[in-house]
Amino acid sequence: MLPSELRAKRDALEALWHEGLSGQALLTKHTELIDSNLISSFTSCETNTSEMALVALGGYGRRELFPFSDIDLLILYRDCGEEQINQAAEAIFYPLWDAGLEIGHGVRNKEICLADADNDFFFQVALLDARLLVGNEEVYTDLMADFQQRFVTSQRREFFEKMVSHYRLRHERFGNHSYLLEPHIKESRGGFRDLQAMLWSAQVVFGISNLEELENNALLSPQDREKLTEASNNLIRIRNRLHYISGRKNDQLFFEHQEEMAEAFAYRTTKSILGVELFMRDVHNALQTIAVTTERFFEHVTDVVGLTPPGKDDKGLEKGLAIRQGRIQIIEPDLLSNRPHLLMRTFSQASATGFPIHHRTKELISNNLELINDNQRHSKRMARAFIDALQGDKALHVLTDMLETGLLSAFIPEFEHLESLAQHDIYHVFTVDRHLLQTVTELNLLKSEEAPIFEGLTSSHILFLAGLMHDIGKGTNQEHSKYGADLALLIGKRLNLTKKEQRDLAFLVRHHLYLPATALRRDIEDESLILQCAKEIQNPNRLAMLYLLSLADARATGPTVWTEWKAALLQSLYLKIAHALEHKDTVAPSQEQTAQWMRSQVANMLTDVDFEPNNLPSDYLTTFPPEEVANHIRAMQGKSPSHISMVESCDQGDHWQILLIAKDRPALLSRFCGVLALHNIKVLGAKIFTWHDGTAVDMVDATSTLGNEYADQDWQKLQADLDRALLYQLGIPHRLHKKMHPTGRKPKLGTGKHSSTRVFIEPDGSDKYTIIEVFAEDKPVLLYNITRTLLDFGLSVYRAQIGTQADQVVDAFYILDNEGNKIKDAKFIEEIRQGLLFAAS
Amino acid sequence: MKKIEAIIKPFKLDDVKEALNNIGIKGMTITEVKGYGRQKGHKEVYRGAEYFVDFIPKVKIGIIIGVEQVEEVIETISKAAHTGKIGDGKIFVLPVDDVIRVRTGERGKEAI
Repeated sequence: MLPSELRAKRDALEALWHEGLSGQALLTKHTELIDSNLISSFTSCETNTSEMALVALGGYGRRELFPFSDIDLLILYRDCGEEQINQAAEAIFYPLWDAGLEIGHGVRNKEICLADADNDFFFQVALLDARLLVGNEEVYTDLMADFQQRFVTSQRREFFEKMVSHYRLRHERFGNHSYLLEPHIKESRGGFRDLQAMLWSAQVVFGISNLEELENNALLSPQDREKLTEASNNLIRIRNRLHYISGRKNDQLFFEHQEEMAEAFAYRTTKSILGVELFMRDVHNALQTIAVTTERFFEHVTDVVGLTPPGKDDKGLEKGLAIRQGRIQIIEPDLLSNRPHLLMRTFSQASATGFPIHHRTKELISNNLELINDNQRHSKRMARAFIDALQGDKALHVLTDMLETGLLSAFIPEFEHLESLAQHDIYHVFTVDRHLLQTVTELNLLKSEEAPIFEGLTSSHILFLAGLMHDIGKGTNQEHSKYGADLALLIGKRLNLTKKEQRDLAFLVRHHLYLPATALRRDIEDESLILQCAKEIQNPNRLAMLYLLSLADARATGPTVWTEWKAALLQSLYLKIAHALEHKDTVAPSQEQTAQWMRSQVANMLTDVDFEPNNLPSDYLTTFPPEEVANHIRAMQGKSPSHISMVESCDQGDHWQILLIAKDRPALLSRFCGVLALHNIKVLGAKIFTWHDGTAVDMVDATSTLGNEYADQDWQKLQADLDRALLYQLGIPHRLHKKMHPTGRKPKLGTGKHSSTRVFIEPDGSDKYTIIEVFAEDKPVLLYNITRTLLDFGLSVYRAQIGTQADQVVDAFYILDNEGNKIKDAKFIEEIRQGLLFAAS
Repeated sequence: MKKIEAIIKPFKLDDVKEALNNIGIKGMTITEVKGYGRQKGHKEVYRGAEYFVDFIPKVKIGIIIGVEQVEEVIETISKAAHTGKIGDGKIFVLPVDDVIRVRTGERGKEAI
């Protein structure tokens, strides 16, 4: 046959494929086509080939020729001259080469064949699939008889051992991240090679070479065989198409092919899931089926051929469970119907002891899943065993077994739709179920890596549950973290968690993206953002769990997701929020208790002073240490009501602290701010309190705008000006105006951010007060202007936080109107807003 | 042709990308980089444990443009990346001798 003819025939084959010929039928057809071509080349060869045989090896020998697979051939000869052999080889191989086929070729006599088989395990395996195409049958059978004798009959155990070690090695090599995202249909875990490895082993160990016989000999259950056949047929169809659309021997399901394949196999995108994701789910399921079944087969044969290590660790674990030959086994299956929690205990024991579970026990568990009913799903015993199983160095193995036996989805039915669920992006390399198992594994690693944080957790099992469930809401058309939180609440209830634990679990699931999203997209130098985060997260325990969950989630997503770079961002966000929570700026759970304690402390310090402890408001008391409160009281002691102000200042190193105590009166705050501005003092932050008797205590952190040292500042002049101002004897506005524009020079080149002035008014911003927030460009007169405007509206400031950052000021004022009520009227709110916008810009 | 290299704060990336898109710049390379500069890394102590990061996470944007677009791009990036605080970043302008599109072999501005 001419090369052009062969090419035409293969084109015709492709045309048949386009018309729907696929699966096994295509492979057979292809094999027949090549067979007939080779037979005709061999028989029409002009050389004497009477002492030669043409043998098909490997996949071609098995009649499994994929469109662009290598064609493995052996010319087997006996007593032939070199010239004669060369001519035959040319006649047989050249047409194939010329037609553009890939050929694995060898020309050997029996002795060379046996020697090569001895040296090369892969050649030895290839000979297992040998098939005589044409030629001298005796030459062929002679080789096969010797091969059988030397490499099969006497070598069953050795062959099996080698096969298992190659099987494991290959899983390692093709198990890395890139093959998860883009599975290798042939070499990946669960690929064709696994199936073949099983069949080769069966052939050598038991003399059985197909699935049907495996079933007949009880090496495979009928269900498993059916599932295996279906999985294999699926993969055959995929591999055929993969070869044709790649136009070459390509067995890896690359990302760019996946969508095209999904479409070709008629997977349709629905509201909640992409067609390509459904397709990949089937691919992963097929690989999974083959992987699990072959794994069990290998474990079984390991027992049969006596490779299992002697049981030096044999011991009973609990009633019904024991370690036998280094594996955990359910030794009394009859117990299961009365003690179904043994199913779960198997896994918690595996986690606790670190021993793997015996394959028969796994099968037993798979076959008894109907024991997991609603009662079991609500059982405390089951829940405890389940939670224990999540924690341990071997968590990945334990959970993988739990997933693959089906127990996980039986116990948590919400898990089922996540099985093999792929996400079509280059980011998530694991399917959702595997990603969740991986997250739990990472949490177990973090237990030692982040030990200080971990040890502080009050209930770490909630964190592990959250790790397993954080994506449980995926694969629906709802927002997955929100929907997942709803599910987690239900599951938590079933698992008999306390109310608080249920809430924590739901919180973690709901917010598992909160920290990374904030770290990457928000300005974490912004203090108000940090306070907002602290408010959202509420307490250090939750924060620690959320942080660890974020780390584990990111590390379990894929190699491109987690970098030292992101770790640094996330860590600084975590620390900032942690500090904010420790300072309890946002939460004062027992403020009244703290205040009472403070009152007694202060009273103890001031036994010589006559004062009324209940005069001091709680928020004031919880802000200062007792010594300082005592100082404030002493300072006011004996001052006549006519005495107007008292300033104390001190040097805090990088800033100054200025204390003002005075009988409250209109405009006290704005006057104070104005005088400070006149004295070139810039306010960095301020706390403003009013005692119940009307004494105002203002604590200001400040620096000099001129870079003055503390000692250079004229504090006496400041005190004097303040006294005058509070007696209404100092004109502040005109002095400030003169000071700021002495030469009428333009304001210094700003950042062009004038439009960034913003005012937010939250009528119910806190329990008692309306909160006004002003964001504005920092100017010396700003605070004076704002406080004066508030005064104009008759608003009293009860508390203020003034944060100055670079060129932006963020002021929060806690205010009430002149009758002591929150501001409710929308029109009035808008009026205040406009007034402040004007004052601040 | 010029290459603009801008080092900015990570959370400003979306803003900068959008601003550049708005003036017609669609193609750019974005890299996560570690800054070791004036804005030093920091050590923090929380609950007795020490946390130390010796670099500041930054994002680097690379764009190749014609000379006539340089000022517009610089202004766009500066505006979008600005927070007014330390660490807002830097913009570098480098000469580019030639650009070759591998697939077609086109050269120069056509290949940008």
